[in-house]
Amino acid sequence: MKHFFALSGLGLALLISSGVSADDSVIGYIKTISDETSIVENGKSVKAGLGSPIRIGNLIKTSEDGSAGLTLKDNTILSIGPNTEFKIDKYQFQPQNDQLELNASIIKGTLHYISGVIAKLKPDAVAVTTPTGVIAVRGTRFLVKIE
Amino acid sequence: MKKISTPLLALAISLTLSGCAKSYLVLMEDHDGSTGKVMFKDASGETLIDQAGYAAVLSDAKNIFKPEQQQIESDFNRALSSEPTRPDIFLLYFNNGGTVLTEESAALIPKIFDAAAAHPAADISVIGHTDTVGDAEKNEKLANERAIQVSHLLEQTTLDVKELVVTSHGEKNLLVKTADEVAEPKNRRVEVTIR
Repeated sequence: MKHFFALSGLGLALLISSGVSADDSVIGYIKTISDETSIVENGKSVKAGLGSPIRIGNLIKTSEDGSAGLTLKDNTILSIGPNTEFKIDKYQFQPQNDQLELNASIIKGTLHYISGVIAKLKPDAVAVTTPTGVIAVRGTRFLVKIE
Repeated sequence: MKKISTPLLALAISLTLSGCAKSYLVLMEDHDGSTGKVMFKDASGETLIDQAGYAAVLSDAKNIFKPEQQQIESDFNRALSSEPTRPDIFLLYFNNGGTVLTEESAALIPKIFDAAAAHPAADISVIGHTDTVGDAEKNEKLANERAIQVSHLLEQTTLDVKELVVTSHGEKNLLVKTADEVAEPKNRRVEVTIR
């Protein structure tokens, strides 16, 4: 089955869904996972697994012994340790239209962040909110721990 | 804005904080060996960290210190070890005007399969591009045909691929900037990203 849809207002994109799930609200996937991790979407919590899709607004929670890693469409890499709550608040990746934005929050726990294309093209478009402030990146890799 | 304190001051702060740093932010060297900058903004102002290995205490961001490697290890071991495989990007080039890969690029296809195998739950994007010879609309189609051609090759993989998205940028995203109607082999390409 093939769907055609417009991407970035720039011509056609062909989505090949030969048995694999594909939908344009997906902004990334869980690539590593251990122990219990859940994804909370619209107040509903679902157990996450390898390959679980991530969408805007998702809250990712790890258990006492959990950890998870995800890669977003712009190649931003995020990995979290145990007892962590991390949320993707806003995400736009349409470089052709200069629509670039990554806003995330860490509520508690540990986060390892590695910049992707959004931070390279538009550093001001990336912000990670903590309970007491905001982290801004200038093309980089950082660790943050929130107790 | 406050820059990193002197090593002596950092040492003093590090001593007072050792073992009791609560919420903190550490700038790390990138995997390519470069180091960027990270800034923390809160009600008290902005704090810039521009040296790898240094950290700001978030409850008191003016405090910059150098955490012991051991502390980073014990606090971030799990977050660090769950880092996904980094994305691999391949550029495939085409002979003039059509959807036939150059010989060199065709030989890269098995390497792309290997990369997909090394990425658990891989998601793949295939973006087609042309040079500026011919009109933009035709190039849009040609770039799309090139990308589809490559995606058909990639579909042969039976690996765990979550998603394969094919997009055409036509002649609007040149790798080598040229005027209109310039034949540029480097622009006739398909970019494959394996995440």
